[in-house]
Amino acid sequence: MKKIFIKEEYCIACRLCEIYCQVEHSKSKKILKAFKNEKDILSRVLVEEVGYNSFAIQCRHCEDAPCVEACISGAMQKNKNTGIVTCDENKCVGCWMCIMACPYGVVKRDLSEKKIASKCDLCSDEEYPVCVRNCPNEALQFKDI
Amino acid sequence: MTLKLNQSEFEIIRDKEKCISCQVCVRQCSNDVHEYDETEGVILSDSSKCVGCHRCETLCPTGSIKIKKRESEFKSNANWTPEHLKNIYKQAETGGVILTGMGCDKPYPVYWDHILFNASQVTNPSIDPLREPMEIKTFIGRKPDILEIKPVKEAGSDIIKYKNNLEPQLEINIPVLFSAMSYGSISLNAVKSLARAASEFGTFYNTGEGGLHKDLMIYADNTIVQVASGRFGVDKNYLNNGAAVEIKIGQGAKPGIGGHLPGEKVNYDVSTTRMIPEGSDAISPAPHHDIYSIEDLSQLIYALKEATEYKKPVGVKVSAVHNIAPIASGIVRAGADFISIDGFRGGTGAAPQVIRDNVGIPIELALSSVDLRLREEGIRHKVSLIVAGSIRSSSDVIKAIALGADAVYIGTAALVALGCHLCQKCYTGKCNWGIATQDPYLTKRLNPEIGTRRLLNLLNAWSHEIKEMLGGAGINAIESLRGNREHLRGVGLNERELSILGIKHAGEAW
Amino acid sequence: MEDTIKKIKKTDEIADYLIIGNSAAGLSAVSAIRTIDKTGSILVLTNEQYKNYSKPLITYLLAGKIGLDNIYFKDDKFYEENNILLKSEINVKKINFKDKMVISDKGISFKYNKLLLANGGSPIIPKIRIVEADDFIENFKNKNINIKVKEEIITQEMLDSTNYKNISGIFTFTCLQDALQIQKYIIENKIKEAVILGGGLIGLKSAEALLEIGIKVNIIELSDRLLSATFDKYASSIIENEMKNNQSNIYTNNTINKILVKNNKLVGIELKNKEKINTKLLIIAVGVVPDLRILKESEMENEQIKYGRGIFTDEYMQTNIKDVYAAGDVVESFDFITGNKANIAIWPLAVRQGEIAGINMAGGNKIYSGGYFMNSIEILDIPSISIGLTNPADNNDGSIEIIKDFKPERKFYKKIVILEGKIIGLILVGNIDRAGIYGGLIKNEIDVKSMFQA
Repeated sequence: MKKIFIKEEYCIACRLCEIYCQVEHSKSKKILKAFKNEKDILSRVLVEEVGYNSFAIQCRHCEDAPCVEACISGAMQKNKNTGIVTCDENKCVGCWMCIMACPYGVVKRDLSEKKIASKCDLCSDEEYPVCVRNCPNEALQFKDI
Repeated sequence: MTLKLNQSEFEIIRDKEKCISCQVCVRQCSNDVHEYDETEGVILSDSSKCVGCHRCETLCPTGSIKIKKRESEFKSNANWTPEHLKNIYKQAETGGVILTGMGCDKPYPVYWDHILFNASQVTNPSIDPLREPMEIKTFIGRKPDILEIKPVKEAGSDIIKYKNNLEPQLEINIPVLFSAMSYGSISLNAVKSLARAASEFGTFYNTGEGGLHKDLMIYADNTIVQVASGRFGVDKNYLNNGAAVEIKIGQGAKPGIGGHLPGEKVNYDVSTTRMIPEGSDAISPAPHHDIYSIEDLSQLIYALKEATEYKKPVGVKVSAVHNIAPIASGIVRAGADFISIDGFRGGTGAAPQVIRDNVGIPIELALSSVDLRLREEGIRHKVSLIVAGSIRSSSDVIKAIALGADAVYIGTAALVALGCHLCQKCYTGKCNWGIATQDPYLTKRLNPEIGTRRLLNLLNAWSHEIKEMLGGAGINAIESLRGNREHLRGVGLNERELSILGIKHAGEAW
Repeated sequence: MEDTIKKIKKTDEIADYLIIGNSAAGLSAVSAIRTIDKTGSILVLTNEQYKNYSKPLITYLLAGKIGLDNIYFKDDKFYEENNILLKSEINVKKINFKDKMVISDKGISFKYNKLLLANGGSPIIPKIRIVEADDFIENFKNKNINIKVKEEIITQEMLDSTNYKNISGIFTFTCLQDALQIQKYIIENKIKEAVILGGGLIGLKSAEALLEIGIKVNIIELSDRLLSATFDKYASSIIENEMKNNQSNIYTNNTINKILVKNNKLVGIELKNKEKINTKLLIIAVGVVPDLRILKESEMENEQIKYGRGIFTDEYMQTNIKDVYAAGDVVESFDFITGNKANIAIWPLAVRQGEIAGINMAGGNKIYSGGYFMNSIEILDIPSISIGLTNPADNNDGSIEIIKDFKPERKFYKKIVILEGKIIGLILVGNIDRAGIYGGLIKNEIDVKSMFQA
């Protein structure tokens, strides 16, 4: 499967990945509408910054995904064919076991409507995840493992 | 607080309708222009700190930022221009030399823009470079006086070999090299981009006087190592990790002036590369203290040839100054294999503005006079001429070749390809594009993979254009164009200028 | 391929894999077996009447956040797709290890080649005296009126695991049936207030559900604070304050002395301190222990399986008896942090142990490297996560470093327990974002000295 690779030495901490992720996961999918009219859209990619070191991290879609193991509702599933780990928002009950289990800290609490776990879905309906496509410095790469 | 007489140069126009307060601009500006106001949830911008580098404008995801020249105008005065006033205000405040970066930006005539290139019509056929072979490869180095050949039997068949030993040559796939920009003046990522692009394309980059970082040694075959007045980082290993050696006497942007890399930029990496203590100022003296004559220069050239076992061409880089033609003649006679001439519009990381803008001569005139002088003296073949100092396009390249250059150096053009917006603030070390800085927060903004790709694209684009122009003129090899002034015509130039350039005016036939 | 798959059709056939338990560990084992052995026959036995449901979800069911259709964690096709025969409502009575046979309470026997014990835990029922309260005060609405009871008129008996179901209004809260019965009871009796015995995980989980549907709760906790097993007094105080602000009562250092019943219906309780609470609903949430009843029956006539608090296994999840594996809440395995044997009854470990057991049962090779406690609980919109050893018993030699950040006004607490440079425990209350990173640091034994130095 294709995964997102992080090249932290080129992350410039602009956080455009987060911004475009928010847009992609908004209702309108339009940047101005999303930011002006929609509230609390979560970014599923996180930029971690310490001093001048930074990197953008999102779900690693682990082989032995601890979040899937910890999920009590069966919402968190790893697709056998695509390898993508997704959270079924209808099944998710917001118990946060996945947040507890994820060693990368990339699952967030989405409290905007019903409480659900929010995480990277690799923008499955796009050719490239938007964070990768919009990184101005190619610090994120989407390629086969 | 003292009154500051200078107003901001730029104005930041923010379209509030479009601004989403995402703070990309805040995070990207190293000059702290933008600031997020948490109470209001808006971004405030202090135009007075803006240097006009356009980083924020480029990265703004909604296109809400526009950097405009501030339109505040002084009372019109053809003599006391705003620039003079501003400089005086600044100096009256600071008492110091005004520093600047990049090349001269004053409206002196740009001769490239007054020279037109020829094309074939009827009497000689033009060539389609997509269908027919077109050679833009050339060689830098001393050529033999006479080329003698002899047949040799090798593995049973006759092959032709040179009778005399050829001097070492640099083979370049395009008559364009990357000019000397030191690691220190630009970031390691910028140097890596240049080095990788040079090695992938088949041309050369130049270390400048900053020594050779260990990460760059793998590009040795495409490296010209420079020996400058500070002799930073020079040892046998350094010389042998290059394909050629260039003695730097002068630089177009600051002829007669040395260099000064402040101690705060001399971090661990820079210090080990330059072989000086960490945190110490790296001072390049104005002259080489062992070169006071052509004979002294010759000694250094041969010392370097000895050190490199006569396997590498040794060249000399000089600024284009009034006496450039006889100086060049002397350099050839001193034993140089190539001469790099840097015109007064050449760039720099830091120079006194008064020098940059008022010292030296245009490269077009320098090149022509050097080429003509060396021809007159019958020594043109003994040396290759590489010219620099604001080569902006493939047409500048082709005109330079026709004016007598073997190749050109590009510095500013390469940096522009890497993202430089010519804000001229290289000397502050706060380059938002990650080029002229050593700040680790900023240097990572230049991903050398992207940089390499962009430089390769530029070289590819220029080679296509050069081939098109050559083909149009019915020429199928760049070397056939060298010094072929009949392919050039001047427009809007006076007799004197035409005569120095050695070209006819447009409208004059052969 | 299809026709080569061996599917167990009749129960008198020998199952290649027999799995007792139809929850996290059991079904995780099934999936793991099927990654290796596509054809071996699998028989799953469960004492419950429901297919597969997620036990932790009963809280959400009771809270009305999900319906019965969403309580299943594997979809309907799971059994079919994996060629599994599921037998529901089978109460395994004993196992004949010698003859490789499982026998139900109705005398049905099931033969196996490999057996997995994944039958989980059972709730603890403390021994409490049951008292008939025959002239119970009619004025039931006012909670402050003490119940006048003709005390000790009839001391029926002591509460235990067999008789508590006979008293209407007393429930445990560990399985779907519990939740459905409580739900029905609440509606039928218009319950507005309840007593929960036990302020631990299940107690709070049931409190979480009841508060969500507007039922005031009284929590009776033996120790000095809620969630005493994992929380310290700071963490507990945030939850306790929030519950008190939501008209709930918390009785710490207390327990139920007497259960007051009338006509086999619960009417109230009396605490250790003689305080009485009127209630028609008591949830017993004292704790859960590994369910070893089958083994105790089996011991009589068979090879003995080794167990302590739970069943002992090796790192392949195999018990001391060949071909008999165990996984999940019934197991006493290795605690990664303390290095001791421990029964850590949490969902993620059940899944992992089940998977490891399944792989090894099917001839694969995977090793269980130990687990550690962790849990996530959210009460009244305050999320909390605790991982590992959060209350180290002694710190006399000063080898343990504790970092605390307590901001009660923001309902925030963070505690990191560090032993010799490595994190061994964590409590997060209020903001649990990126909690798993700490888990990763614990699991990988990362030296964090440099991270926490000022």
